[in-house]
Amino acid sequence: MIIKRTKSHIAEIFCNVLCVFVITVVSVNAQKLNDDFFSPKSRLSFGNYLFLEKDYLRASNEYKEFLKTDNNDTVRFKLSESFLRIGRYEEAANNFKSLFFSTSLTDEARLGLFKSLFFEKNFVRFRQYRLEENYTTEKFSHDIDRLNYISYFFDSEPLPDSSRLFSAFADLNRADIKKFYYMKKNPDTKNPVTAALLSAAIPGLGKIYTGEIGDGITSLITTGLLVFLSANNFRHDHNFRGWLFAGFAALAYGGNIYGSAASAQIYNAGVKFNFDNEVKLFFEKHNYFLPEFDFVNR
Amino acid sequence: MKKFFLIIFFSAIVSSAQTDWVKWNAVQVSYEMKNNNELEQSVGFWASLQSAYKFLISDHDGDNCPFYPSCSQFYVEAVNNSGFVKGTLMFADRFTRDLNFFKGWKHYPVHCKTGKFFDPPYNYNLNPRSIQFLSAENSSE
Amino acid sequence: MKKLFYKYFLLIEIFVVSSLFPQDRLSIQFDYANKLFQTSQYFDAITEYKRLLFFDEAKKYSYKAYFQIGKCYKAGAKFDEAIKYFSTASINAANENEKLSVYFEIVRTNISRRTTSRALQILDEIEKENTNTFIRDSINYWRGWTYIFADDWKNAADAFSKIKSDHELKKLCEQVEKEKVSVTFTKAISYFLPGAGEVYSGNILSGSITFGWNLLFGYLTINSFAEERIFDGMVIGSLGWLRFYRGNIQSAEESAKQKNIAIANKILKYLQYEYKGAKP
Repeated sequence: MIIKRTKSHIAEIFCNVLCVFVITVVSVNAQKLNDDFFSPKSRLSFGNYLFLEKDYLRASNEYKEFLKTDNNDTVRFKLSESFLRIGRYEEAANNFKSLFFSTSLTDEARLGLFKSLFFEKNFVRFRQYRLEENYTTEKFSHDIDRLNYISYFFDSEPLPDSSRLFSAFADLNRADIKKFYYMKKNPDTKNPVTAALLSAAIPGLGKIYTGEIGDGITSLITTGLLVFLSANNFRHDHNFRGWLFAGFAALAYGGNIYGSAASAQIYNAGVKFNFDNEVKLFFEKHNYFLPEFDFVNR
Repeated sequence: MKKFFLIIFFSAIVSSAQTDWVKWNAVQVSYEMKNNNELEQSVGFWASLQSAYKFLISDHDGDNCPFYPSCSQFYVEAVNNSGFVKGTLMFADRFTRDLNFFKGWKHYPVHCKTGKFFDPPYNYNLNPRSIQFLSAENSSE
Repeated sequence: MKKLFYKYFLLIEIFVVSSLFPQDRLSIQFDYANKLFQTSQYFDAITEYKRLLFFDEAKKYSYKAYFQIGKCYKAGAKFDEAIKYFSTASINAANENEKLSVYFEIVRTNISRRTTSRALQILDEIEKENTNTFIRDSINYWRGWTYIFADDWKNAADAFSKIKSDHELKKLCEQVEKEKVSVTFTKAISYFLPGAGEVYSGNILSGSITFGWNLLFGYLTINSFAEERIFDGMVIGSLGWLRFYRGNIQSAEESAKQKNIAIANKILKYLQYEYKGAKP
């Protein structure tokens, strides 16, 4: 009887120990239950996955939810970077600004702000902030200077001093930069007034000047023919027809002068279009010579 | 040419990554076939004159203008946007360019919907900011 | 002892249930994403399907989630993306039935995208590998729809007739085919009588104006020649009569095409908004 009781007692003790064990396991599991797909930790790892997949809008939503409960400089930086990459520059700039003081990424955030302004093409503010102490960073001052020089290739402000501009780039790229600099400084454009004056002197000459040889010759023939028809009709006393053709000749003459000026402008737009594309492709290829941060791609 | 393909290549990569960079909603695509003949029409007095011209003459004498917009449409748009005198000069220039036998030779971009030379009046109003340059190798929407 | 047994049983039950719980989370997440899908919140649904895929380490939901993401993109008319995800779903399909469902969805997406030749190509491939009557009916059904979107109503009617000789869609396709006018015939009669093609295709007023211009310039040309004003005759003939005669043939062709588009569009509109069967 005693032995039996002891057996049952041992079983009960064993059961109680097991009970404590299972409750511990279950409570750990219960912790896991809370740690579900929407917990801050899960949101962060899912957000990081989306970021690497370039699904930046979704990633930014996950980061925003994470930051509601936790504060993390890297996550806020990645949130700003997500906005930057999807072209929401203002939100990117504001989030970068929130990392300016007492954080581990103060320099990176300052560079981030300049990147936001650069890609927004807000070059006025870019240049203004570059001179303000609150926004500058020793660590990336060269990168920001370089970005500032690059910005001159994308707007119509006068180009800065060539030697300082060239020295901002590595020797390897300097030849290309020099080429772009002189292309920007002395573009191969045509003057619309010259084109118009040339066409006023000889119909079609302005068009030939802008490279439209076919249009120029056609203008010359058309205007010449209409003048001839007009003169011929006047000579044969067909005054109505004479005036009619004279009117047409005047239209062709005037239209050609106007068209020559327009043609020069289109030619110039073409020069600018090709230059802009070439410059954009070059800098995109080199990622605007900006440093890459490993922690962003983790 | 190489540059052009590079631009196309880069833009293709970017556009595929951009699908979800802006939140989108459901889109119902119509089963109906598009009628290519229904091109956008201008409004106003000149447009009504153009409609009359189209109804009485242009609809019956075949497809003669190699440009989009056609010479008559160009004239209406030019006068509507730039005034009578400037519009007439723009039209006179366009008409002369139409007479050029070699106009298709590496010059104008091609308009996708119509397959014609794309030559919009806003490129000729002497305002450099309104010019939208498209290279001849390129094509427009 | 009984008490002890119950205690053990309860413990084991708690243990089993708690260890099974992560599995339930996946199904809850799948249901949540489906709910978003059903309420047409496709962008958010994609986020939740992606979340499911991210946490589903055993890849239990891969097929279903990729399939649903494809459907979301399709609903947003982002057909290229849709096909990309359907293709991923087909890789994750566990059996032939799942694979077939994806293939038919790719066909339907191609129809919506109007890349009909690709849709036909995929249907041919499915047909080669499947002889089952039920599948063959589905193949013919979607082949019919593909031909409808390719504006080939005769082949569409043939495809539907293979399912059932009096199939509702077969009748509709035949009706379109019957109502359409022949572009060649319209052009041909315009060669003989300017304006006739336009009148035949329903544009009576336009046809009459065309006829009027041709009559006027024809008269002026012939009159010039008759009065031996050869130069005038040549100028009026080439710049006037020839222009309107050639224009008449172009207008006739255009007019016939427009009429055919209008006929097809009437039925396409019915199919989109009123037809109750499966649609692309």
